[in-house]
Amino acid sequence: MSREPSLLKSLDAQESISMLGINQERSDGGMNPTEPITNEALSSKMKDVIDVLAMQREKRNTLQKSITIDYTKANDNFTVSRFIFECGLKLDAHPLTIATAATLYHRFFKEAELQGYDCYLIGSTCLYLAGKVKDDPLKIRDVMNVSHNTLHRGSQPLELGDQYWSMRDAIVQAELLIMRMLKFQVMPDHPHKYMLHYLRSLQAWFGEEEWSKYPVSKTSMALLQDFHHSPAILDYPSNLIAIACINLSLQIYGVVVPLMDECDQQPWFNVFCKDLTRNKLWEIMEKIMAAYDDEPETRDN
Amino acid sequence: MAEKLRRYEKIDFLGEGQFATVYKAKDTETDKIVAVKKIKVGSRAEARDGINRTALREIKLLQELKHENIIGLLDVFGHKSNVSLVFDFMDTDLEVIIKDNNIVLTPANIKAYMVQTLQGLDYLHFNWILHRDLKPNNLLVNEEGVLKIGDFGLAKFFGSPNRINTHHVVTRWYRAPELLYGARLYGTGIDMWAVGCILAELLLRVPFLPGESDLDQLTRIFQTLGTPTEETWPGMTDLTDFIQFKPFPGTPLKHIFTAAGDDLLDLIASLLNINPLQRCTCDQALQMPYFSNKPAPTPGPRLPLPTTVKRQPEEKPSLKRKLLESMDGASLAKRLQF
Repeated sequence: MSREPSLLKSLDAQESISMLGINQERSDGGMNPTEPITNEALSSKMKDVIDVLAMQREKRNTLQKSITIDYTKANDNFTVSRFIFECGLKLDAHPLTIATAATLYHRFFKEAELQGYDCYLIGSTCLYLAGKVKDDPLKIRDVMNVSHNTLHRGSQPLELGDQYWSMRDAIVQAELLIMRMLKFQVMPDHPHKYMLHYLRSLQAWFGEEEWSKYPVSKTSMALLQDFHHSPAILDYPSNLIAIACINLSLQIYGVVVPLMDECDQQPWFNVFCKDLTRNKLWEIMEKIMAAYDDEPETRDN
Repeated sequence: MAEKLRRYEKIDFLGEGQFATVYKAKDTETDKIVAVKKIKVGSRAEARDGINRTALREIKLLQELKHENIIGLLDVFGHKSNVSLVFDFMDTDLEVIIKDNNIVLTPANIKAYMVQTLQGLDYLHFNWILHRDLKPNNLLVNEEGVLKIGDFGLAKFFGSPNRINTHHVVTRWYRAPELLYGARLYGTGIDMWAVGCILAELLLRVPFLPGESDLDQLTRIFQTLGTPTEETWPGMTDLTDFIQFKPFPGTPLKHIFTAAGDDLLDLIASLLNINPLQRCTCDQALQMPYFSNKPAPTPGPRLPLPTTVKRQPEEKPSLKRKLLESMDGASLAKRLQF
């Protein structure tokens, strides 16, 4: 699949940290054989494979390092979402907090005109509010400093002066604005919890050995998290989004759910959602894939 | 939003808390009496942290909850830089009722309060929410005798195994021993313990374990229920703030609650089980013989109310009675009236 590089990148939730110059070794999880192999055996038997993997990793690293988004140049949905993710990762926020922030952001701009507001202020505020909503407290000063530094790379932390206080007031006011615009309904219904349930069921259906051959869980979760870059995430029920991410992940690795022939040709997902049609499913999957079209990484390639 | 302000007509000032002022108001759209809780913006310095976390907790949790025994959040609106929450209006609370010496709490009354508390709490726990601040003051009662659990400012979702909680929850007198020992991973047991303390307070009419400090609180718990050991509470010694107490034998519950029957003593014992894992759940508590034995819980409208709360006279029947009285001559009917 042509989209693979960007997908693989997103497997690692820590990827954006590289922008801070912190080297996080990827844990490849299910992608490597699990049994321990001696170095000797490695070098003789798997030389070629390792080389390819190493090359891919190197390529990915250089690619990532080269891309530092200048957020001041754009304010489309994807870029601001990416900004929310980058700030969220730097703040060490819980993935669900970041997902909540992105959802709040998209919901806000479903109601409001993009031109009417500073979308980076709204983005930062969504992150701050999401911290409160998810009981994952983010300090307002940390949110401000991280946002400011991400927006203006290399700048110093804000001094406690007029600029600091006016920005802080701006966030506080924007928070109330968002709350009111969303009619105080800020509790998201995350697809994540459905996904966990579905993946658990599939895992049991596949059997441990077969399931561990492919990183289906990891990729599904990465696709879901990445889908939060797109406002299309608001257009479908959470349980269907979860199924679509899993199905896309299964397609990517060419994995077929076992024993489906003996189930009257009923697709696997109908077990979890009776009236989901293939057409609807593919529509959502296409939206998930389309979320990557705006990525600078793919644009550059 | 200005229309929202007009929608709720202020009737009376009800009280002022740390974070909010509460007004009694009339919803002009439905003619219903409601309580409007206006969140304080406070000084400028406080306002700079944005919307109050406690208020946000109440908003996000109560929006999803709907149960007869849970306070209803009817509306939320913002005006200028304020946020106001509109709740069911509740006339009084269990603290007032317990302290009111003119009120007699019969075994049937106590059972009625307990059933309602446990049903509301069961619903909360079923939805993976811990209240974390149960006390008589937060069990609200309206003039129909319906009890509703209120104040969700400390409530939180539970069940994530890796989620660390603070142990600085629950008003001290109702705080479970595991919290006093610094447990960060806890469950529904902390609410059950508080219910046990409230039940004891309903019977005794004074707080059951009024500790003056956290240490004094533990001392009182152990003096009353006996000092736990690794056998009676496995894992106790691993808690972060564990300290060994001198072994108290404890007092038999029968000697403390002299008027209570065995079925009630069984309920108290399982609510106040020192080992959080052996403490009963709401569901288990409601299945215990106490609730199916006699006396039956008092029906809501017949539960006692403080004199300050006047039950609305039942207008229609009284009018009818008056008509009947005028027809048949009043003397006979009057004798039947209390």
